[in-house]
Amino acid sequence: MANDKELTDFFKSVEKRAFKRTYFAVRDEDAALDIVQDSMIRLAERYAGRPPSEWPMLFQRIMSNATMDWFRRQKVRNAVVQNFSDFEGADESEGFDLLGTLQSIEGALGAESAADQVARDQVLRTIEEQVMELPARQREAFLLRYWEEFDVAETASLMGCSEGSVKTHCSRAVQALAKALRAKGIAP
Amino acid sequence: MTSLPEHPGVQLQGLEARLGARVAALLNERTEVLPHDIEERLRVARDQALMRARSAARAARAAREAPLAPAARPDHAVRPSAGLPGRWFDGRIGARASAGETGFWLGLASWMPLLVLVLGLVLIRAWTTHEQVLAAAEIDTLLLADELPPAAWSDPGFREFLKTSPL
Repeated sequence: MANDKELTDFFKSVEKRAFKRTYFAVRDEDAALDIVQDSMIRLAERYAGRPPSEWPMLFQRIMSNATMDWFRRQKVRNAVVQNFSDFEGADESEGFDLLGTLQSIEGALGAESAADQVARDQVLRTIEEQVMELPARQREAFLLRYWEEFDVAETASLMGCSEGSVKTHCSRAVQALAKALRAKGIAP
Repeated sequence: MTSLPEHPGVQLQGLEARLGARVAALLNERTEVLPHDIEERLRVARDQALMRARSAARAARAAREAPLAPAARPDHAVRPSAGLPGRWFDGRIGARASAGETGFWLGLASWMPLLVLVLGLVLIRAWTTHEQVLAAAEIDTLLLADELPPAAWSDPGFREFLKTSPL
C-alpha cells in the first residue's frame, strides 16, 4: 500500500502538465481544473492501493475519460468527433523542413534569452497556441508521447488505437507544428 | 539547410523525435510557472484527493478487519468487564472503538430496524389477544349478571320469541 508521500509526490509531478493538457483540450481553465481534481480523487479513492508504477497510466486513462465525460456533458461530442477526423485528411506537410524549424526554434530562443525575456515568453506562448490548434487526436498522441514520455505501446493503449496510428498522429503533429511555427515567423 | 526529401526514413523519425522533444521541453518550461490561483487550486485538489485516499483506506481496512475481529481479539478482551461501568470490550475506560468494533456496531445498527419491526409485531399481537380476552370477559360478565339464565340463549323457543317480539 502506497503512503501519502508517494501519492503526494506523484500528484505534484503530474498535476501541472495534467492541467495544461486538459486545458488544451477543453479550453476552459475552470473546467480543466475540475477535470484534474476529479481525476486525482478517482485515482486516490480507487487505485491508491496499486503499485505507484501503475499510477501514471491509470491517471492518464482516468483523465481521458473525465475529459470525454466533460465533452459529453457539454454536448459538443460531435465537434470532437469532427476534430478527430481532421487528422485523417491528406497530409500536405510531407517533406516539410523539420531540421530548419528545429534550428530556428533553438536560434530564436537562444537569441532572445539573453536579450529579452518578453520575446522568449512570446515564443513559448506561440508554441503553446499551436499545440492547442492541433487536431485532438494528433495533440493527444503528441503530448502523451513527447510530453508525458510514454512509449508508443503505452500511448496506443491509452488512446485505444494501434501503435502505427500513434506514430502517424505524432508524425503529423510534428509536421503541423513545424509548419505552423514557421508560418508564425519562428523560422530562419 | 537540409530538407526532408534528402533524409532517409530513419533520419526523418529522428528529426521528428528531436523536434517533438524540444517542443515538449518548451511546454514544460511554460508550465512550470502557472498563475498563483491555479497552483493553489491544484494544491487544494491534491489535498482533497489525499483525504479521500485516507478515507478509502480506512474503510477498506475496517471492512477487512470486521469479519476477523471476534477471532482476532483475545478472549479476555471479548468479555465485558463485570462490575466496572464504562469498560467495554477492550477493557479500557473510554477507549476509542477499534475498526473491528466499529464494524460490529455498524452490523448491529443495520440489523436494529428489523429487530424493532419484529418486536413491534409481537407486541401488537399480544395487545390484540389481550383486548379480545377482555371483550370476551365483559360479555361473559354481562351474561352471568343478567336475570336471564345463559341456558335460555340455547333454547330454540326463546330465540323464536326474540325474533317475533315487537322490541
